[in-house]
Amino acid sequence: MTEHASKQYDLDLGSIRSRVLAMGGLVESQIRRAIDALATGDVALSEEVVAADHRVNAMEVALDGDCSQLIVRRQPAAGDLRMIFAITKTVTDLERIGDEAQKIARMSKNIHERGGAQAPPTVQVRHAGEAAISMLRRSLDAFARLDVDTAREVIRDDAGVDTEFRSILRQLITFMMEDPRTISSALDIVWVAKAIERIGDHAKNMAEYVIYIVEGTDVRHTKTP
Amino acid sequence: MIRRQRYDVLFVAVGIAALAIGILTFLTLFVDMAVRGLPRLDLDFFTSFPSRRAANAGILSAWVGSTLVMVVTAIFAVPLGVASGVYLEEYAPKNWATDLIEINITNLAGVPSIVYGLLALGLFVYQFGLGQSILTAGLTLALLILPVVIVATREAIRSIPQTIREGSYAVGATRWQTVRHHILPYSSPGILTGVIIGMARAIGETAPIITIGALTFIAFLPPAPLKAEPPFVSFEWLWSPFTVMPIQMFNWTSRPEAAFQANAAAAGFVLVFMTLTMNALAIWLRYRLRRSIKW
Amino acid sequence: MVRDLPATKAEVRDLNFYYGDFRALKGIAMPVHERRVTALIGPSGCGKSTFLRCFNRMHDLYPGNRYEGEIVLHPENTNLLAREVDPIEVRMRIGMVFQKPNPFPKTVFENVAYGLRVRGERSRRAIEDKVEQALNEAALWDEVRDRLHQPAYNLSGGQQQRLCIARALATDPELLLFDEPTSALDPIATASIEELMHDLKQRVTILIVTHNMQQAARVSDFTAYMYLGELIEFGVTDDLFIKPKMKQTEDYLTGRFG
Repeated sequence: MTEHASKQYDLDLGSIRSRVLAMGGLVESQIRRAIDALATGDVALSEEVVAADHRVNAMEVALDGDCSQLIVRRQPAAGDLRMIFAITKTVTDLERIGDEAQKIARMSKNIHERGGAQAPPTVQVRHAGEAAISMLRRSLDAFARLDVDTAREVIRDDAGVDTEFRSILRQLITFMMEDPRTISSALDIVWVAKAIERIGDHAKNMAEYVIYIVEGTDVRHTKTP
Repeated sequence: MIRRQRYDVLFVAVGIAALAIGILTFLTLFVDMAVRGLPRLDLDFFTSFPSRRAANAGILSAWVGSTLVMVVTAIFAVPLGVASGVYLEEYAPKNWATDLIEINITNLAGVPSIVYGLLALGLFVYQFGLGQSILTAGLTLALLILPVVIVATREAIRSIPQTIREGSYAVGATRWQTVRHHILPYSSPGILTGVIIGMARAIGETAPIITIGALTFIAFLPPAPLKAEPPFVSFEWLWSPFTVMPIQMFNWTSRPEAAFQANAAAAGFVLVFMTLTMNALAIWLRYRLRRSIKW
Repeated sequence: MVRDLPATKAEVRDLNFYYGDFRALKGIAMPVHERRVTALIGPSGCGKSTFLRCFNRMHDLYPGNRYEGEIVLHPENTNLLAREVDPIEVRMRIGMVFQKPNPFPKTVFENVAYGLRVRGERSRRAIEDKVEQALNEAALWDEVRDRLHQPAYNLSGGQQQRLCIARALATDPELLLFDEPTSALDPIATASIEELMHDLKQRVTILIVTHNMQQAARVSDFTAYMYLGELIEFGVTDDLFIKPKMKQTEDYLTGRFG
């Protein structure tokens, strides 16, 4: 794409975009570490993840501030306007994903402090987590390259994550019915699974914004993007 | 003081010196004329006809003649000059023909005045049969100052911003309406300045008037313009023989007697005074006109 | 919001315009919708002012200009550019407000009344009523009602421009042309003129040239983007500014002049 007449404008916009990707990378690592902590029982890791969430929040605040500044200075129009608009929304979704990762870490800590003996197996949760992480990574990728095909893939894959969530739920219900001592931990895992499902929804939102940037159509809440 | 400022001071000094030279020269001439002529100025001087005896000679016929000639000059020069200027600026297409006319008008301003006298002699006096009259003199001088009036009109019109014209046309005015309501009123101060300059020149012109045959010794006045019986206005004075102030002065200066020199100086004083009065009148008019434009 | 297309007040059909041999406007075709504001935007030299001045035959005042094509005014379907059509007639139906406020060096009253006088209106009462009405429509009446017979040049820049608007309105034009009306004004005066346009468009069709994109986005219902004498894109303002169809439009709106 041609550059702006103002080099500073290009620099500012470029800086915002790379920091969005950096925030995405941070958030992705938060999810991964939270799920690892769940599987391995590493309480210290969980605590790290919980503590690190403030960095995600700080990035949200900084990026929103910079976007406001850009709007005031440049009064963006057309593609630039859609880009900034989508970025502010993406940043919100990333911050929420960060919160979900924090929740996963908290639940993991609860489960293992209780003594993980009665904990239900977490294999499927891990699998769902991987799927959600993949959706997030591909959304960020689609944003970086403004690639609508990848974005559309991500939107379709959200259905899969939803299905996995429902299946995990059914499993856990069976577990709880068999052994009532596992209810506390099982409920914690329900929250983890719900958090993962939410992560998938946020990643889908981000993909929808990419389509808005490139094509100008708002495909949120439509059946076929 | 730094070096550059020295040039400032130098230039101011040179400027003042140049101004002083001009003013002093004029003042010297004027004072000399006043000193020699003022003693001669009394009511008799203004109300007597020329005479062989210096003590009895007066400028009555001369100043009346000058005034009447100026009136005729103004009556012809102003409408013709203004209309030509307006036409050239607002109506004429901007092509080579108009440029040619423009160049020639400026050239006309430089033609020696005696040439105008010769032209008038052949055309007005003989061809048209107007005789050696006030009418002829007025027409001649009108021709003489026409270029001045035209150029002044054009400059004044040119200084009106184009946005005013466009504003007028945009509201649906025709060209004549724009000229009448905007162009003429706003350029009238400038036009009047040109008329002042022209008339000041005309009142002092001697050569063309002599050429068309103004007399030097006139002991009568032209017939009065106003009469007791209907139609109350008479134009006979236009065809009357006459003289003007510069000619009277010229006549007196060519006489050897010192007394006539004094007369000439006195007449010169009066002539300058007449010129200044004319200018003052026009300046006052210009002031009034400027005030009526709501700049 | 403008979603169903309103009636057309004027239609430009294949308009070409020549300054001598130079082709300043190339094949322009677009509608001007009735009682809406249509903005013309584009970089300097793109021909937007030239285009605007075709509507009231301003180019006829200068030699060497030539129109080709039509600007058809509804409802009678007259072609404004036809040689048989008298430019004076055109200017009586279409008013213009210029970039730099250009009131006449006359009183406030006489400025507004001038349009009526050139049409031959003589009734003092009628003129007074119309002047008051026009000044009201231009949101200037309250500020000048006690100074009607003072020089127009005593007014501030913004007031002078509103006076020029009143002058144009006094003759009940069908179409009002604004040629960068606020580029010489401060932000507050600009805002008052933009407010005014918003009210005026309920009665008059407005065509405005502006080099300020944000102003076009604020005041207009339809926008036309021009470049080098051509009409690149025409559309509903919101659509054009958020999702332009042509890359050239996108580049101009986002400041990509490379």
